[in-house]
Amino acid sequence: MSDTNYGYAGSILVLNLTDESYEIIDSAPYVAEWIGGHGLASKLFWDYCEDKSVQAFDPKNVTVVAGNPFSGTLVPSSAARVEITGLGPFSYPEWYTRSSIGGRIAGMMKAAGYDACVVRGRAERPVWVSVENDEVTFHEADSLWGMGTWDTQEAVWSEVTHGTPDGGWYEFTRSRDGGRSADRPAVLAIGPAGENLVRTATITHDASHVAGQSGLGAVWGAKNLKALSFIGSKSFDIADPATLVDLRIELQRDYGFHVDNPTIELQSVAYAPMGEIIRQPGFSTLSWNLRDTTGRPEGCLGCYRNCRVNVKGRIGNEATCNASTYYTASGKLEDQLTTNTMLNDLGIDGFEVDLIPYLRNLNKMGVMGPGKDIDTDLPFDQYNTVAFPETLLKRIAYREEIGDDLAEGLARAAMKWGRWEEDTATGLLQRPYWGYSMHYDPRVESEWGFATILGERDVNEHGLNWIIHWTPLIWTRLGDPWLSAEDFVTEITELMGLSDPKCLDFSEEGMYSDKMVETIEWYRYHGRFWIQTMGMCDWAWPNLVNFVNFDQDDYGGASPRFELGFFKAVTGRDLTYEESQDYGRKFLLLDRAIWIEQGREREDEQFAEYIYSVPTDTPYYMPAVENGEWVYSQNLGRTLDRDKFEAVKSKLYEHDGLNEKGYPKKAELEKYGLDDVARRLEELGKIG
Amino acid sequence: MTKTGQKAPRPPEAAEKGGVSRRQFLAGVGGLGVGALLGGSLAALALPDSVYAVPASQGYLLVDTKKCGGCESCMLTCSLVHTGKENLALSRIQVAKSALAGFPQDSAQYQCRQCPYPECVEACPTGAMHADEATGVRTVDEGKCIGCQRCISACPFTPSRVQWNFEERHAQKCDLCKNTPYWNREGGPGGTQACVAVCPMKAISFTAELPVQSDEGYEENMRNIHWSNLSFPIDDAGKVSAETYMRAKAAKPAGEDASTDSGKMA
Repeated sequence: MSDTNYGYAGSILVLNLTDESYEIIDSAPYVAEWIGGHGLASKLFWDYCEDKSVQAFDPKNVTVVAGNPFSGTLVPSSAARVEITGLGPFSYPEWYTRSSIGGRIAGMMKAAGYDACVVRGRAERPVWVSVENDEVTFHEADSLWGMGTWDTQEAVWSEVTHGTPDGGWYEFTRSRDGGRSADRPAVLAIGPAGENLVRTATITHDASHVAGQSGLGAVWGAKNLKALSFIGSKSFDIADPATLVDLRIELQRDYGFHVDNPTIELQSVAYAPMGEIIRQPGFSTLSWNLRDTTGRPEGCLGCYRNCRVNVKGRIGNEATCNASTYYTASGKLEDQLTTNTMLNDLGIDGFEVDLIPYLRNLNKMGVMGPGKDIDTDLPFDQYNTVAFPETLLKRIAYREEIGDDLAEGLARAAMKWGRWEEDTATGLLQRPYWGYSMHYDPRVESEWGFATILGERDVNEHGLNWIIHWTPLIWTRLGDPWLSAEDFVTEITELMGLSDPKCLDFSEEGMYSDKMVETIEWYRYHGRFWIQTMGMCDWAWPNLVNFVNFDQDDYGGASPRFELGFFKAVTGRDLTYEESQDYGRKFLLLDRAIWIEQGREREDEQFAEYIYSVPTDTPYYMPAVENGEWVYSQNLGRTLDRDKFEAVKSKLYEHDGLNEKGYPKKAELEKYGLDDVARRLEELGKIG
Repeated sequence: MTKTGQKAPRPPEAAEKGGVSRRQFLAGVGGLGVGALLGGSLAALALPDSVYAVPASQGYLLVDTKKCGGCESCMLTCSLVHTGKENLALSRIQVAKSALAGFPQDSAQYQCRQCPYPECVEACPTGAMHADEATGVRTVDEGKCIGCQRCISACPFTPSRVQWNFEERHAQKCDLCKNTPYWNREGGPGGTQACVAVCPMKAISFTAELPVQSDEGYEENMRNIHWSNLSFPIDDAGKVSAETYMRAKAAKPAGEDASTDSGKMA
């Protein structure tokens, strides 16, 4: 695979903050084999981070922002996302990690001419960097330091475009042929949380697009980098434009929500999450009911669904996912919106969604409060008003009072308070992996849990999860399921290319089976390539069941035919699905090498104690074979068997090309041309 | 840095020589295209001196500004079908997003209106900017364009709906997809327009009828009851929450069929 004429901008921007210099290199040698997104970012990190064993806040840490061939194209729900990697401060312990951001950033970075941007070093002074086609300038950021991400972006917009008003053309140069844009620069910015090295700090773009998990906003804070702005006007070629348009229209016709005449819609909001399954526009978590607010669906560049919302008065714009439900105790939508915007503006990750309830529980237990073991005057008496999250979040962002502990992330705070061992053993604090909040339960949903523990952060890819967990759950609320469990798993496994419907048997027996190992590897490789490398939104891809335009006799999803079709149309390259999965495997192997250099050992890959000892006590719907029959099981009373998990881990290592210790095998590295990686691991004495 | 596109829109009712402005004349002919009028009864119609006869376009793009999701898929498609490349800056329809503004100021759409009296055509000294003989679509013969940009300046709207193609150095504008070499479908007024086909919100439509227009754009409301079911406003101004609308609808007298509601609020 070497033809890179189509789908690429052609250059990589390498910023060196230490001396405020930059270089522009040819991207072709990189993207030929590392494609883009995560693959490209990991390769650039490997090459540019000279010491991968340093901590996240060390100036030697390198962050990489990487687009991909789909960036800035008509490929639906795929044009917007950049992958961001680097050594992250959030997980416990710290690992090389990733996040991604949608919105407009991937398209604008490519329009400026770049497939990726590497950020090295640490600036002596607070800076922001403007990238305007070939012109790269470093600016002092004293006037921006301390600002929220929203004010920062508006200031940068105005500065870059010299105050060009909305809708005006901004001419890049004095020449009429120097390029122009009627759009605003796409800005990545950190807020006070990032400046103050809060380990949950985000990099925020537009209203609510964030690199949330991983804490990379704090890395930029440590680097004195307040913002990175892109605006561009460059074209790039598409291999087969007509086919790309045809595929897009076909996908929308057959798999898209038809706003004027939907096949299925939620008229009564009887059980609102179904809106996610049928992919209603403007239907991310917050907008399960907009109540008395007005607004519109809002989408990332090129999206065919537009899942977010913009609202009257702007507070809450683009809210989605957990951050939109971070605070609900007051029962008021406006407080929910306000808290969401506060998170994004201060630059704090909303995924620590268990933080407020946990603090509340400690307060109720008499452990936390004025004069208590954990001494704080947080206003628990105002818990049911927005004053509580407002006080809490500001204290975290500015490291004031108890906020100084919480700025280290809840896991480290609990350790400092001496509560970690007890509370993660009992499940009072549900942090099963790497200090992250429990997103989906490893005691049942093995693909999510095992992918996370063999990775470095909450895997956070919903493409399969929405289908196999949420859909059966929602069906129970709506009455009868639309499909029998057997038909359901048969259809899905066929599209996934798995060998047997039993690959989706999440029963006590099934979750440790070789079939499930096959599923977990599918999930990890598919995610590493199509989601993290190609930037396909996990709230839209893979498309495994057509619930949007459901027909009892025809409900097959669009994947992987459309992924492959779009790849061919954009790049002109022939790629089989098997090859794409092998790319995912290769990229994971390089990541594993980085983790090994950081000191990862097999025994580190363990869940918190409660996963092994505390049985599940609430229904967790997943398909399973019970007494020889396929059912949507509630999976109650489940714990993870430590020995069986270790056996699965060994099998996953084998699939990944690792030895029993989890070290990459030399032959596997060499197979992918990673001889330099093999040499480094040999130096460390950690090669299989 | 220079800035363009900043000139104030021409006052909407500025009188032309002869005492009748083009817009006043347009208002006088109502919803009919001047081409239609000229086609059948030219001799019977007394045109003001300054109004010149250009065939009406056989089609127009309409945009519901409050239905647009800001995904810019229309722009990505426009660039692609015309040039085979992706470039938002060279899209003939422009969507200006501001995610940090409140609805409905968070998004604005700028499409060519195929003006009945196309000042861009009038301003062109070479005939490069012209009304297509067969369809009336205002479009550019790139081979004749000398790059004087008078057409761009002449467009009464901000930003100008005629654009400077800074890569190929000629003027360009929406041609309703009449000339789309990188698309498998037939474009133009008799065919399909790529932005209309691709818009997932169905916020862009095509009409053969000359729309009533103002300086604020076409007043279009393409939001039906299903938009309300999505929990978004369907009144013209977008000021009535869907929930309020639902309550009002529920209170309708028995016998009134809510399913036929066009989305218009009382």
